[in-house]
Amino acid sequence: MMTDRLRKTLFWAFVCATALFLLVPTLIIVPMSFSAGSRLVFPPEGVSLRWYGKVLSDPDWRAALGNSLLVGSATAVLASALGTAAAMMLNAASFRGKALVLGFLLSPMVTPVIVFGVGSYLVFARWGLAGTHVGLIAAHTVLAIPFVLVSVLASLRMVNPNLALASAGLGASRLFTFRRVTLPLILPGVISGAVFAFITSWDEVVVAMFVANTGTRTVPIMIWNQVRTSLDPATAAVGAILIAVSALGVVLSYTLKESDR
Amino acid sequence: MTLSSPAIPRGPTLVERLPRGSALLVPALLFLLLFYVYPLAQLIGASLPGGSGKNYALIFSRPVFLRVIAETFRVSLVVMAVTVLVAFPYAYAMANAGRRALLFLTIALLIPFWVSLLLRSFSWIVLLQNTGLVNQVLLGLGLIEKPLKLIRTETGVILGMVHVLLPYAVLPLYSVMKKIDMRLMEASSICGASWFHGFRRVYLPMALPGVMAAAILTFTLALGFYITPALLGSPRDMMIAQMIAGQFSEQLNFGLGAALAVVLMGLTALAFALFGLGRVLLARRAAA
Repeated sequence: MMTDRLRKTLFWAFVCATALFLLVPTLIIVPMSFSAGSRLVFPPEGVSLRWYGKVLSDPDWRAALGNSLLVGSATAVLASALGTAAAMMLNAASFRGKALVLGFLLSPMVTPVIVFGVGSYLVFARWGLAGTHVGLIAAHTVLAIPFVLVSVLASLRMVNPNLALASAGLGASRLFTFRRVTLPLILPGVISGAVFAFITSWDEVVVAMFVANTGTRTVPIMIWNQVRTSLDPATAAVGAILIAVSALGVVLSYTLKESDR
Repeated sequence: MTLSSPAIPRGPTLVERLPRGSALLVPALLFLLLFYVYPLAQLIGASLPGGSGKNYALIFSRPVFLRVIAETFRVSLVVMAVTVLVAFPYAYAMANAGRRALLFLTIALLIPFWVSLLLRSFSWIVLLQNTGLVNQVLLGLGLIEKPLKLIRTETGVILGMVHVLLPYAVLPLYSVMKKIDMRLMEASSICGASWFHGFRRVYLPMALPGVMAAAILTFTLALGFYITPALLGSPRDMMIAQMIAGQFSEQLNFGLGAALAVVLMGLTALAFALFGLGRVLLARRAAA
């Protein structure tokens, strides 16, 4: 029937338009960053690496990249340790109020980040954590724990609980069983949780705005300050670096998951 | 210790009654209590200086605050409606696509999901500015005579927010839709129902839980948006998150800022509670 066909064509045209809507504004940063011109326009004027050179030789941007890497890595380590331990317990035990505990641990995902940001600002000023790396890492870890939890719980559900029982039956201690039996099995989940924790911190701007100072400011803070004053292709170059690092992480974690199957 | 009183049989202590392995949960819970619950609780304390509710009285009596709250609701509702309407066909396509199409649609959905929201707002500025791609295309097609003003407008904010929230709407819709048995639609068409009738009476009721999950998630997340409206909107159409940030970084009125933050938290919690209620009602109707 003609109308049937027309409907299908229109439907797929709409879906493809949506896919373009999703992809174009995300990806145009990359070509813009290679612009040779000094105006930020799309399509870019000519091709060059001058903006990467400018960014990587600027002490402020370099300091910010260092801060971002430090805070992101520490957040990844801390959030995966806390999240993995909690996931192990939640997976093994069933008790009343378990859904409530899980909901609480996941709630930072939906708490408005501005609310959490100003709350941390109030408390950190009193604790002497304002403007410190430690404060920033602590706040980012709160935001990252849910991602680790979701990822590790998904891996744990795939593990046969009898394996841990068998290991205990053969006389292994619980720590030994965890290190030699359970952890190797859930490692892809732990690593992808750590990657997502890193990216959460790497991209985070609102909390950092209230917690960091000029000495500890991260790349997103620099971008935020820059974007509000002028449109500069250097910002696109930094953006492309941010995207490249995130993409590397995501590809790494998906490769691990695929090889796990 | 030789002769002690005979052992008194005792019930399990509190610690023994805890589920096995509870110690593993303790670090995460303590960490969140200290760095998450405590700051939020402090915010409530700061919003009530000396136990007085004057900050809340101010928020709910001054038109300037009421306007911002109303504006936040209005923008969030529009964004929710647009996002769910666009997400629905996309999720439907994913649920019924072949392997390769599904892969493409998934990648197109997840790439923006993992690129910083700040960078995407930045791209939108470049695309929507007077000399941007969108205006160039529209001018080139002869659809407009002079560039449209798109940034610093509500259109810009809505475009930017829908872009950020689409994955949050598509994923719950898709997880419901992929379980729907499409033979039911065939059955309805064999029974003589038109496509539209079958869609409305057979497919839509089954997809409804996904629609509701998508709607509530986009709405509650939209309520707290800060970066996108700050970069793409005009200060005139400020949302509540911008006002909170302003109270803390410019006006330095922490009490009022804290009260606004508590209002936003309350609105978010209320929206979630309404969603829970809706789900219960829906389940009851299905059971009846």
